[in-house]
Amino acid sequence: MLISIKDVYKIYGEGLESEVRALDGVSLEIDNGEFVAIAGQSGSGKSTMMNVLGCLDIPTYGDYFLAGKDVALLTDKELSRIRNKEIGFIFQGYNLIPSLNAVENVELPLIYQGVSPFSRRDVAMEALERVGLADRAKHLPAEMSGGQQQRVAIARAIAAHPPIIMADEPTGALDSKTGLEVLSFLQQLNREGSTILLITHDNGIAATARRIVRLSDGKIVEDHEQEVDWA
Amino acid sequence: MGLKLGQAVKMAVKSILAKKGRSFLTMLGIIIGIASVMTIVATIDGYNRKVMEAFEAQGTNKITVSLSLSDGSNGFEKIYDYCQGLGDDVVGVTPNTQMWGTVKYGAKTSDTMDWQQRPRVYFGSDQYAKVNSFTVARGRDLNKIDIDGYHQVCVLGARAAKAMFDYADPLYQDITINGVPFTVVGVYVEKDAGSSYSVDSVIALPYTASRFFTDMSEDMSECAVKVKDSQTVAPVMAKLQSYVNSLTQDGERGWGYAYSEQQWRDESNSILTMISVVLGSIAGISLLVGGIGIMNIMLVTVTERTREIGIRRAIGAERASIVTQFLVEAAMICGVGGVIGIVIGYGGTHLAGTLLAGLVGEEMSLYPSLTITLAAFAFSVSLGILFGMYPAIKASGLQPVVALRAE
Repeated sequence: MLISIKDVYKIYGEGLESEVRALDGVSLEIDNGEFVAIAGQSGSGKSTMMNVLGCLDIPTYGDYFLAGKDVALLTDKELSRIRNKEIGFIFQGYNLIPSLNAVENVELPLIYQGVSPFSRRDVAMEALERVGLADRAKHLPAEMSGGQQQRVAIARAIAAHPPIIMADEPTGALDSKTGLEVLSFLQQLNREGSTILLITHDNGIAATARRIVRLSDGKIVEDHEQEVDWA
Repeated sequence: MGLKLGQAVKMAVKSILAKKGRSFLTMLGIIIGIASVMTIVATIDGYNRKVMEAFEAQGTNKITVSLSLSDGSNGFEKIYDYCQGLGDDVVGVTPNTQMWGTVKYGAKTSDTMDWQQRPRVYFGSDQYAKVNSFTVARGRDLNKIDIDGYHQVCVLGARAAKAMFDYADPLYQDITINGVPFTVVGVYVEKDAGSSYSVDSVIALPYTASRFFTDMSEDMSECAVKVKDSQTVAPVMAKLQSYVNSLTQDGERGWGYAYSEQQWRDESNSILTMISVVLGSIAGISLLVGGIGIMNIMLVTVTERTREIGIRRAIGAERASIVTQFLVEAAMICGVGGVIGIVIGYGGTHLAGTLLAGLVGEEMSLYPSLTITLAAFAFSVSLGILFGMYPAIKASGLQPVVALRAE
């Protein structure tokens, strides 16, 4: 099993009257090569779920095994390595560094791998080419449209060829046509063997996934697989 | 894995250049601090060195004895004879009397020379060279026969020789001093090639030749006693003082004293050190303020860039990489500020040297030593690391998800 969480809680302000259970005893297993949509209304805990699964946040209680390793026992260095090599993140707000141009943003994960400047530039350009933005390599994020920025963010997520891609509302800020392009790109990656976690509040988008996990109030209320017809 | 230093430097350069105005203002504190500390330390250090050099050139381990007896007998000869009885402790004794005079060789006259170049006439004994640490380069030194025989001979310092004869051979040439002819019998080796006003401008005459000059008093009231080493200064000085006291009968029959420049030098040394410490610490306060400025601006930078830190953490930057990034940036701001401060410090030290030269009336070109320069640079970089540490650690300590949420 690639990802396995058991009875995971994420509680803010524990013990207070105002305590919030963003994750309330969640257990979930995800296998290699799956395409999972984590769906739910805003406030259902789906983003918290991604943060926990992506090693960006620590659960209050519960176990998390990633590729058989107990994440709670990992050091900062090991967690950084996982975020760097095993997981590619695509965020809703793109999260590009504004002072860096497109190719420099895509290079970031490679910098922290210690890849030499020349081969790093090659790998980054390759990733930009895959998302069809090679000609915008020297543009700053502010000089690009939302769709282009999201594609740069995707290029950054795939540059280091991580086996897992986690996308938090990747289409949220895009028009429907661009959104569909992003989706089909994720499907393409999935066909090539990447495990995809897609976080969305949009049932239409969730419906394109092979498996839907629905969250409500921090609990899994639905988990089913479906046949999909990907173009 | 991890951020390479070269990469961190590139990132720092980029980030500093992205905010030029702010980076410069941050540097300003360091620039002013380093420049002022450097100017003060280097000026005092340089001045101290000049003073030391002057002492060294005049000859170390010397005691000056002044003796004037009311019965008109020659004080110097009494001291000279007394010192011969002190054995190995005393290296030599000579009068220390200078005479203002016009030196002429053919058509060349010292009157038209720059005062710094002008030869200076001293009356000496046969031990003049020993006392003043001169060695004879050519010809011979003054000897006892010259003294006893009132010979009209002289030995030139290297500069005096150059000033009067240029590149011609001065040996056995006749010069006149205030109209009295003297034959050059020797030239001393140059001792102090560096400074413009030099001990090498000396012309040494037998002290007995003072009788040829109408305006010179016969007795040589002041003389210099050179002793074996620095430990010998105090005991010999004590002996000389009590001898002088016995001759003058505690001031009844004249006056006299013995003192050593060494004492004066040690005192001046400790005073200079004290001034250096006091002024240096005052200037150091501005460095501290500069350092706090660095810390402040780095904290602002960290806050501003929390989201960037979050992004970097999310895509695999270790805590150490984030710390490195911000530390390198702080160190670089301070390093560049330090270099600018050092350049200004050089200018400041030179200026201080010129001002001091005006006060002391001696040319003094002061420059900070290499040690001071390197120390200033190392200090400013470590200042950056020291004051960058807290913001950098603060930056790296956030959970990635918390940092990502920042606006």
